[in-house]
Amino acid sequence: MASGLDSYVNHTVSIITQDGRIFVGTLKGFDQTINLILDESHERVFSATSGVEQVVLGLHIIRGDNVALIGEIDDEADANLDLTSLRAEPLGAVIH
Amino acid sequence: MLPLSLLRTAQNHPMLVELKNGETYNGHLVNCDSWMNINLREVICTSRDGDKFWRMPECYIRGSTIKYLRIPDEVIDMVKEDVVAKGRGRPDNKPRGGQRGGRGGAFQRGGFNQRGGPRGGLSRGGPGGGGRARK
Repeated sequence: MASGLDSYVNHTVSIITQDGRIFVGTLKGFDQTINLILDESHERVFSATSGVEQVVLGLHIIRGDNVALIGEIDDEADANLDLTSLRAEPLGAVIH
Repeated sequence: MLPLSLLRTAQNHPMLVELKNGETYNGHLVNCDSWMNINLREVICTSRDGDKFWRMPECYIRGSTIKYLRIPDEVIDMVKEDVVAKGRGRPDNKPRGGQRGGRGGAFQRGGFNQRGGPRGGLSRGGPGGGGRARK
């Protein structure tokens, strides 16, 4: 059964969770309920008043229930981002 | 690699579990199942705001309440070792079981003529064989 996530395995992905947090890491695996393995992950904490804070987290299993969005990241474009000068309101939680 | 295989490999390792309600549980994984229900030992529970703490010798967490689990980095390398070990045990790629796996008719099971009949050594009714012999 091909899931659209096959092509993301071993690539850098950005995960937005239901509580509005953003995790970036390498997708190492997933299952039919979209539980994810995220390796070498970090959280990006956005703020309207200061640059993006990166919190190093390491190896994670994220439960599928909690995943709102999965996006592939272009490593080169991402490396060229100046996160310290980026200002943005943090995302809110998903409203059900 | 499946998330639940990784979780199974993480047994006896320390981990942090965040629940959907924001509480976090730090402890050693004792057991887990295919629903992600988990058993932790030597647990420290932290409230959503991080201002209250509870210690407990063990706890059981329903998988559906989990937001994410944070596990030690080295565990991901141990999953690979497990897969390799399994491959070595059964080098040929033939399916297991063969004929035994089928539905198996009466012939395969030896079902007919096994019970009771005149040739059956274990027939009921004692030395005379079947009940009819008593008439």
